[in-house]
Amino acid sequence: MPEVFIDGTRYEYDEEKDEMLLQFILDQGLEVPFFCYHPSMSIPANCRQCMVKVGTPVKDQETGEYELDEDGERKIRWFPKFQTSCSTRLQDGMVVLTQESSKEVARAQKDNLEFILVNHPLDCPICDQAGECPLQIQTYKYGPEGSRFEVKKVHKPKHVDLGPRVTLDAERCINCTRCVRFTEEISETHQLTIVQRGDDNYPTTAPGEEFDDPYSLNTVDICPVGALTSTDFRFKARVWEMNQTPSIDITNGKGCNIDLWTRDNEVLRITPRQNEEVNDYWMPDEGREAYEQFNENRVDRPSIKLDGDNQSNTSWNNAIETFAEVLEANDPSDITIIGSPHASVEENYAFNKFFNLLGVRNAKFTPHVIPGAGDGFLITDDQAPNTNGCRVINLDEADDTSIQSNVAAAKVVIILSDDLVGREVLSTSDLDNPYTISLATNHSKTTKASDLVIPITCVAEHAASYVNIDGRIQRSYPAKETKYTNRRLNLEMSEGRLDRFGTNFDNWVSEENKVDCLPVWDFLNKLGDRLGLDFKYDHSREVFAELSSSIDELQGISYERMDEENGVQLPIEQKEVKA
Amino acid sequence: MAQDWKSFEPLLIPDIPNLEKIDVYEENGGYDALKKILNDRDTWSRKSVIEEVKQANIRGRGGAGFNAGLKWSFMPDPDGGPRYLACNGDESEPGTFKDRKIFEFNPHLFIEGSLIASYAMTVDTIYVYIRGEYLSWVDMLQEAVDEAYERGYLGENILGTDVSIDMELTYGAGAYICGEETAMLESLEGKRGYPRTKPPFPAQNGLWGRPTTINNIETLANVPLVINNGADWYGDIGAEEHPGPVLYGISGHVNQPGVYEYPTGIPVLDLINDVAGGIRGGKDLKAIIPGGSSTPPLRADQLDGVTMNSDSLKDVGSMMGTAGLVVMDEDTDMVDVLWRIAHFYHHESCGQCTPCRDGTGWLEKVLKKIKDGEGEMKDLDLLLDVGNQMEGRTICALADAAVWPVRHTINRFRDEFEERCKKSVHAVA
Amino acid sequence: MAELSFTQEELDEIERLKAKFPTAKAATLRVLWVAQQKYGHVEPEVQNLVAKTLDVPKSHVHGVASFYTQYYKEEKGKFVLDVCTCLSCQLCGGYEILHHLEEELGIEAGETTDDGMFTIQEVECLGACGYAPMLQVTNGVYVNNLTKEKVDTLLENLKNGNMPEFESMAMPELEKRNQAASK
Ligand SMILES: Cc1cc2nc3c(=O)[nH]c(=O)nc-3n(C[C@H](O)[C@H](O)[C@H](O)COP(=O)(O)O)c2cc1C
Ligand code: SF4
Ligand code: SF4
Ligand code: FES
Ligand code: FES
Repeated sequence: MPEVFIDGTRYEYDEEKDEMLLQFILDQGLEVPFFCYHPSMSIPANCRQCMVKVGTPVKDQETGEYELDEDGERKIRWFPKFQTSCSTRLQDGMVVLTQESSKEVARAQKDNLEFILVNHPLDCPICDQAGECPLQIQTYKYGPEGSRFEVKKVHKPKHVDLGPRVTLDAERCINCTRCVRFTEEISETHQLTIVQRGDDNYPTTAPGEEFDDPYSLNTVDICPVGALTSTDFRFKARVWEMNQTPSIDITNGKGCNIDLWTRDNEVLRITPRQNEEVNDYWMPDEGREAYEQFNENRVDRPSIKLDGDNQSNTSWNNAIETFAEVLEANDPSDITIIGSPHASVEENYAFNKFFNLLGVRNAKFTPHVIPGAGDGFLITDDQAPNTNGCRVINLDEADDTSIQSNVAAAKVVIILSDDLVGREVLSTSDLDNPYTISLATNHSKTTKASDLVIPITCVAEHAASYVNIDGRIQRSYPAKETKYTNRRLNLEMSEGRLDRFGTNFDNWVSEENKVDCLPVWDFLNKLGDRLGLDFKYDHSREVFAELSSSIDELQGISYERMDEENGVQLPIEQKEVKA
Repeated sequence: MAQDWKSFEPLLIPDIPNLEKIDVYEENGGYDALKKILNDRDTWSRKSVIEEVKQANIRGRGGAGFNAGLKWSFMPDPDGGPRYLACNGDESEPGTFKDRKIFEFNPHLFIEGSLIASYAMTVDTIYVYIRGEYLSWVDMLQEAVDEAYERGYLGENILGTDVSIDMELTYGAGAYICGEETAMLESLEGKRGYPRTKPPFPAQNGLWGRPTTINNIETLANVPLVINNGADWYGDIGAEEHPGPVLYGISGHVNQPGVYEYPTGIPVLDLINDVAGGIRGGKDLKAIIPGGSSTPPLRADQLDGVTMNSDSLKDVGSMMGTAGLVVMDEDTDMVDVLWRIAHFYHHESCGQCTPCRDGTGWLEKVLKKIKDGEGEMKDLDLLLDVGNQMEGRTICALADAAVWPVRHTINRFRDEFEERCKKSVHAVA
Repeated sequence: MAELSFTQEELDEIERLKAKFPTAKAATLRVLWVAQQKYGHVEPEVQNLVAKTLDVPKSHVHGVASFYTQYYKEEKGKFVLDVCTCLSCQLCGGYEILHHLEEELGIEAGETTDDGMFTIQEVECLGACGYAPMLQVTNGVYVNNLTKEKVDTLLENLKNGNMPEFESMAMPELEKRNQAASK
């Protein structure tokens, strides 16, 4: 195996990977400061921050042997200039000195940071990026103590709405061109360019054009400073006040890996989480807007239609009692249950199993597909996160008409988490006759038309798995407490600073944002108790364990594996998701 | 040899009226070198042409002085795909105004030279990139190119052989940086003139990802001389390590500024006093910049015995550059001059990479402060420091070119700078 | 502003320019020149016309137009006087010429006279250092070896619609010899 020596330590590398030095250094868990390099884009080497000292061993022309010095060490020919490690190809025998072992290199990096900062406004106290700003972090670690720049800074446009979602402060820009390269190489909309020349340079759109790229917010993520910020998130919260929880994008079939950022149990933003197999570093803007549905318009407490069309809140006891009575009053053959590609594998499975135990027919589900909505990248025709999950657990896939005729024939319809009216599979009048029960996260046309609505946890509140359009199973974690969960007791939930140190007596913690809802399995446990049914799952983990032992495709798969492997590809036939 | 420059007869731009016309050019032996090669390809294989040019040691006239033949030899073997020669007529380094003379007075010599180069490197398309301000000269070269096409020197099956080479002229739109060879390639591709990081080098990955060689206009104009007369003959002209005729552009405080053709190795003082008619107004010489604004200035007292070739200039701490000699008389304010040079590089930095984008502005602003009488002593060391922080750390050599004059002007004229700072509003004690 | 467009003749010219290069994008600089020739500037709508004609992203054309100084990103005077004040011109009085022009026209560098006749710009080295001080008129002809009187005459001529002629600057050595020969 070829070798390189970094700060005196020998490492072997894989020639096949054709890696650059900086990436290799990062892969070893070592560090060299950098700004413009991004592993998924071309390498312009323009920030010049990642400079290191590089040499190669001298070989005897004739024998091909390494030449040795008096001490028997290999003779090294040092490059006359520092090299940018991001654009330096590994070479067998290469010797590298980083800032860790070379004062010269450390000084060069410091010098470079001094240059970057001369025209930077240094307005961290009012900058959204502060706290997660590579420039701030690297300056702190590697930068100069002060600046010797005592002349005038360059002025450039500030708070420019580049498009509907992204705001530019050109003075903060360090011209790394990541945003421009993103629109050229990743989203391919070519909406951004650098304009002007020299220290007047900054990125923008063509005049009169909007930066409405469906992936525009990724530029905010990759901007190494606060030059590009999310218009929606601007000034909402400081990064260190929030709590970051891994999750899955549920707005389409791709299942982009994401992080949910919460403060006081409110999801404030969504950012992509890297997964080479699914979404790399990216996600569509649409998926980020989903945070609102985790906070707002939630079904909070069960509700029931007593007279006419008016729903009113009711107690859990009453809801369970009503539900049980409806089930007892009707023959199982008159009951239709509809599962959902919008709900997780565990929810669908528990839901279906529960009613099967009562003798109700297997649940149906209908995919939620808008042909032509997808872009072949991260936006899919499939509007639901778990169509393949419904298939894996063998729910009956049905088209709209078959759902309609089933509903028409039923006396009781039980719908899991799917706005069938809103997406025009059913009409409100279809639900007039049967007694309709919805288990739902958010208010919708379907819940409005339902006789009984059971509030259930959303993806931000439970651990559950979803099988994406490519057959990859991935899972969520609870990020947001409900009325019945507690961050400090639930070891699965992470705690941010305010979660940990806030108390009910300060401004940071409140009960307000906790929704009165239950996980589907938990609710069914309670309903089962009332009906005397042998049905009990303490955790979605138990539901999944049962699934993995009973379904071939899920064999050997567990939450642990999904966590370790960033999701697991299932051995399923690639089935076309039909409309 | 430096002494016999007076008897030198111009080779690049000989004294022949209407030489820019193809008839006149042909009458005077024009295109003979090309014919010589194409009619006798056994003797003049592509390799042997490169070898001959390499032997002659034509040092690049664009500023870096690299052996042209050696550069040609870096081109990979042909693979059937397109290969390019990109001719650099951007000529934007302050003090430099010589390539335009070739376009105006002897364009066919350049065309012939670039054809020979293209033959040697199996190039099929030549691009000539001329600065946008030179529209008048673009037209002149275009006329010559049209003539060459008509006579069958350019285009399909040149002189009835299987060699086909096209030449396309194009021009920029105001950007010094497009003279940097890879910025020029970007500009040729229709983009902002951002220099490319190297490696990969243009020979591997040039225009549109294809093998490309970049040469200066004057460099290529030397090529037919070598083929016609041989590498040895050429090597005997001028300085040994840096031979050949050179178009010296002389400007500044001399009586007869202009472009003069003489061999390399001519004494700097002869160039000023004999060739360019001495200093205006009978004043004394203060300083020179030997080869365009980026080459370090030299004080008059440093010039004894110094000749215009790379070794001699290097000995005294400067460079040959573009041989654009800028002459300054005793009344010249070096602070003003240096500020103006710094202003130029600040204005022309493409802004792509950090040390140059932010360093050139810093240099200029501090110099402006000194020039305006607000400088402090510590600013002088700051300028040197900032320069050290920029040099050798950027994508292209513009940053180096910006630093050298600052460093050497301050070092060589430090008194003058200190004087200015002492008189400043911030002067202490 | 009405929808801009190129005439058939201009489009033919653009096709010819595109044919010089393997990609349409490469013709960006040249087509911006064609557009500037036609409209006198390359304001945003003109840039967009170029983008549309070449079928390249608008942002690309915008980035290019703003990089190169010879493109007029806004309307300029009928005559743009680009005065070189760079190194050799500075040494030979380029600033005096600039200031003289500013005084004569009552505007500063970067501005346009009220009657829309003249714009003065301070520019970097134009490659005429031996003929300093000098200026260039509207990206075209060079006027060399300027004196205040020469500038005054130039302004007079331009006001009367007379563009200066191209002036060939001979190689002085050859000129000397030629003069000697003709005596
Ligand atoms: C900032 C910068 C500007 C340059 N400008 C020019 C130029 O205007 N003309 C030129 O021929 N070379 C210029 N060069 C040098 C070119 O990069 C290149 O070395 C040259 O064209 C190669 O030709 P040669 O080897 O024949 O000299 C410049 C280099 C730099 C770094
Ligand atoms: S806005 Fe941000 S991402 Fe874009 S070039 Fe500037 S610093 Fe880089
Ligand atoms: S050194 Fe200057 S001109 Fe060269 S690439 Fe960097 S910023 Fe551009
Ligand atoms: S990360 Fe290497 S130059 Fe920017
Ligand atoms: S300095 Fe003015 S033309 Fe060169």
